[in-house]
Amino acid sequence: MVMSLLWLRVAVVLYGASALVAGWTTLREGSRVRSFLQPLLIGGLLFHFVSLVEVLNNNHHWMPMAVHELESLLGLLLAGLFCWSFYRYGTVSLGMFVLPLVFLLTLAPAIGPDFETFFSPRLRNGWVLAHIALVLAGYSALILSFLSSLLYLLQEQRLKSKHAGPANRWLPPLDTADQISYRMLLIGFPCMTLGLLTGSLLAESSIGPSYFSDPKVLLSFGMWILYVFLLWTRRSAGVRGRRAVYLSCFVFLVALSVWAANAFSTVHRFSQP
Amino acid sequence: MSLRLLGVNHKSAPVELRERLAIPEQSLAEATRLLAHHPGVREGMILSTCNRVELLTAHDHAAPDLSLFLEQYFSIESASLRPHLYEYREQDAMRHLFRVASSLDSMVVGEPQILGQVKQSYSVARQVGAMNGELDRVLRRALTVAKRVRRETRIGTTSVSIASVAVDLARQIFGSLAGKTVCLVGTGKMGQLAARHLMAQGASHLTITNRTSTGAEILALELGAEVLPFEQLYDRLDAADIVITTTGSSEPIFRREHGQQLLQRRRNRPVFFIDIAVPRDVDPAMAKLEGIFVYDIDDLQGVASQNQSGRNEEARNAERIIEREVERYTESRQALDAVPSILAVQRSFETLRQQEHARNAVRLASLDAEERRAVEDMTRNLLNKMLHGPLTALKAAAREGDEEAMRAIREALAGEVADASNEDDSVKGGAD
Repeated sequence: MVMSLLWLRVAVVLYGASALVAGWTTLREGSRVRSFLQPLLIGGLLFHFVSLVEVLNNNHHWMPMAVHELESLLGLLLAGLFCWSFYRYGTVSLGMFVLPLVFLLTLAPAIGPDFETFFSPRLRNGWVLAHIALVLAGYSALILSFLSSLLYLLQEQRLKSKHAGPANRWLPPLDTADQISYRMLLIGFPCMTLGLLTGSLLAESSIGPSYFSDPKVLLSFGMWILYVFLLWTRRSAGVRGRRAVYLSCFVFLVALSVWAANAFSTVHRFSQP
Repeated sequence: MSLRLLGVNHKSAPVELRERLAIPEQSLAEATRLLAHHPGVREGMILSTCNRVELLTAHDHAAPDLSLFLEQYFSIESASLRPHLYEYREQDAMRHLFRVASSLDSMVVGEPQILGQVKQSYSVARQVGAMNGELDRVLRRALTVAKRVRRETRIGTTSVSIASVAVDLARQIFGSLAGKTVCLVGTGKMGQLAARHLMAQGASHLTITNRTSTGAEILALELGAEVLPFEQLYDRLDAADIVITTTGSSEPIFRREHGQQLLQRRRNRPVFFIDIAVPRDVDPAMAKLEGIFVYDIDDLQGVASQNQSGRNEEARNAERIIEREVERYTESRQALDAVPSILAVQRSFETLRQQEHARNAVRLASLDAEERRAVEDMTRNLLNKMLHGPLTALKAAAREGDEEAMRAIREALAGEVADASNEDDSVKGGAD
């Protein structure tokens, strides 16, 4: 077995344990196992990072060129962002949803061979790594912002309904969920902007101006404009709470459709040799 | 050693009697020392809180008259005390102690103070030398059980008083209370209590406003708060994250339009209204505004009741833990009762073995040191194997508290030793 696969499997085990600890701690308030979460998560991140670097290094390409490598990178970014939010806000409940997702994203690369790889020679460009990493970081931040927004809605509904007793005490405080959601948008925005910018420059140089008429590209720019609008409404107009949450959810859904638009794109297809 | 517990609590005695029986902290050591010297008491401890006074003792033979101790110590007539006393012995005393330490017998089930009070009484009893044997072990186990109950159930995680529910809700809205400003409108007692709780839990700033400024000024001085003139309330309310309102106004003083203005000025940052006034100070329509959370006295009471029901559910789990712990402790205690018998049997048989070796010393003289050691080991192992069955049965009988079986096993083993000694003697006599 190659070492990178071993490190990845160790990371998967640690992520799995983190997910269990997050779930247990969320549902059993005051549980002492909470103290294990950070070490497990940091351990998982370290092994995951080492594994990913080894994979890219062994394959002599410094960018993810297969679906499993992309999943692995997305998992790493999600785990990293959750780790930051846990350190900053001390809220475990988000981990109950994020960490199982991280576990699943890393499990597939850890157990099975990758059948789908990208063959396009255009991917042999160093800028593509920046594009992929930045866009994935943007998506990771949007995923966390979306999840945090959902928790906000649940908590708000609970507090407004006056049934704030022992049921669903695991939900994060309203203000914390709002802050996590906003911070994630702030983190994701520069990543998404730079990611789209590098992608546009690469497409412009290799395809020419016609790339702009591609549905995937159009949707991406639409999502970016929505993203800007969302941040503007939160920062300048003071929109927060439920309306901000709905906007976050909408941007996330558009981001999902951008991802799905790969199927219709002529510019953004790399799996055909 | 036998256990006995005698006392009064909030269920058995009225507050007037509990007041008379309360032992101040500074007198606890002296009272415990006196209890330890009371006739018949070998070890003792006194637990005195606002809701209970309990004497826990260990004694050897005749049970001490603990109600007499209370009558003498407090100079109280027997007739006014005895009807309110409860008494537990042995396992029941232990069970009661475990329940008290775990806060299952408290007025507010799950309150955390009682464990500290039990620890304090235990510490005082140890300091005055009133506890050093069986009772010490029971108390240590009680503290362990109480911690286990806290750890394995959620009995103490929710708030059940109005003021603590308000703090809890504020935390669920804002997370940390650090940096938050509280505005107290009116100077009602319940509002004051809620404000004190919020400040104690980390809120940074308190402003007080009242229609008559004198009341607000006196309270502000006491709480280190700022006084806000009542006529400036609507202009400066946007600085407050939490508003506690407790005025005697017959009309709501906060209406929907105030809420809209407030949200606009706060750029939609949430506000938590704790409306303790009756009639209510906050128009219920305000609660429909996004970002404004209004809890009136009934809502707070409702949350407290939900939490109380949750605690009751957890209390049932805690009772199961305590029952298992009482059984475990009783078993281990009974197993300890068998230790002297086991040691006595082992000593008798060992003496017999050594006598047998001495008797055969001449015949074994031709063996070298290693061979003699082998014979020594062989006889010892043989003895251990022969005794394993009877001693296991003795331990099992002790665990089950079966005195009859214990006596039968002891007598049977003693008979074996006596027969063997007689046989030796007759052999010796024959040889003579």
